[in-house]
Amino acid sequence: MLDQLLAALTRYGSPALFVVVAIAAVGVPVPVTLLLIVTGSLAAQGSIGLWPAIAIASAGSITGDQIGFAVGRWGGKRLVTKFSRLLGDAEHIKKLDARAKSWGGAGVFFSRWLVTPLGPWINVASGAADYSWFRFTLWDFLGESFGAALFIWLGHVFSDRVQQVGAIFGDLGWAILAVLVAGFLGWNLFHTKQKHE
Amino acid sequence: MLILGFCLAIAATFFFGYRAGRTARHFRHQQESIQPWMSVPFIAHTHHTRPEPLFLAIHVPPDPHDHRPIREIAHAEKVPVSEMIGELRKAIQTATPPGKGP
Repeated sequence: MLDQLLAALTRYGSPALFVVVAIAAVGVPVPVTLLLIVTGSLAAQGSIGLWPAIAIASAGSITGDQIGFAVGRWGGKRLVTKFSRLLGDAEHIKKLDARAKSWGGAGVFFSRWLVTPLGPWINVASGAADYSWFRFTLWDFLGESFGAALFIWLGHVFSDRVQQVGAIFGDLGWAILAVLVAGFLGWNLFHTKQKHE
Repeated sequence: MLILGFCLAIAATFFFGYRAGRTARHFRHQQESIQPWMSVPFIAHTHHTRPEPLFLAIHVPPDPHDHRPIREIAHAEKVPVSEMIGELRKAIQTATPPGKGP
């Protein structure tokens, strides 16, 4: 599928870019970092304008993110209520919800460009957790614009090395996600051990 | 279960971190491979050569605005993609003076 998406991007430019980043933001597993780097290379070759490409990529991603947020807000609540019973009593859930909201802005911002595999999940979770739409959109706009500008600029600078730059940042993204998971599980292990002692 | 997940996450960190580091180390020396999604002007740009000799090598009239992926060109010309990639590689080697490669 990646081949077809990259071919569409190379051939049709901006319209393909908008559609591809939007479907990636909704949750279809697409290596969007590589697509943005290829877009930067196309900009360096003069096939597409640099600033229009950044604007279109941001707009496409934000559109997809808004769809994910809407799904969480209006479709995911029942599911969340069902699963939240498994997490503990009402007091515990309130604490978790408050913690999630306090980290909401940073979570939305960093999942747009640094830990991209988490992005679609955070969109749905933010909607379901009644996170403010205005704040979500603000952090979403900042994160997506920064991410699009960063990766398209990288592709523009290293326009003859797109696959290698894409591979480096793809792997770095997964490594950062693995560090976060290890940190979260390590923290849980530490607390479980303390409780037993 | 927590310990297993923790160990897997640590292993994944090292795996992806090592792979990213290895790619970064070979960054300057590795040549960009030709993929079926690439257009001829795209391949020419990534290999620091002009698109005209590449178009001629695959028997297509040179057109800098021809952004068809080579898979599509190969399909239209009824040639296997791998064969077309081979022709493009040869044309790049001929067009690029020794020591001036990417």
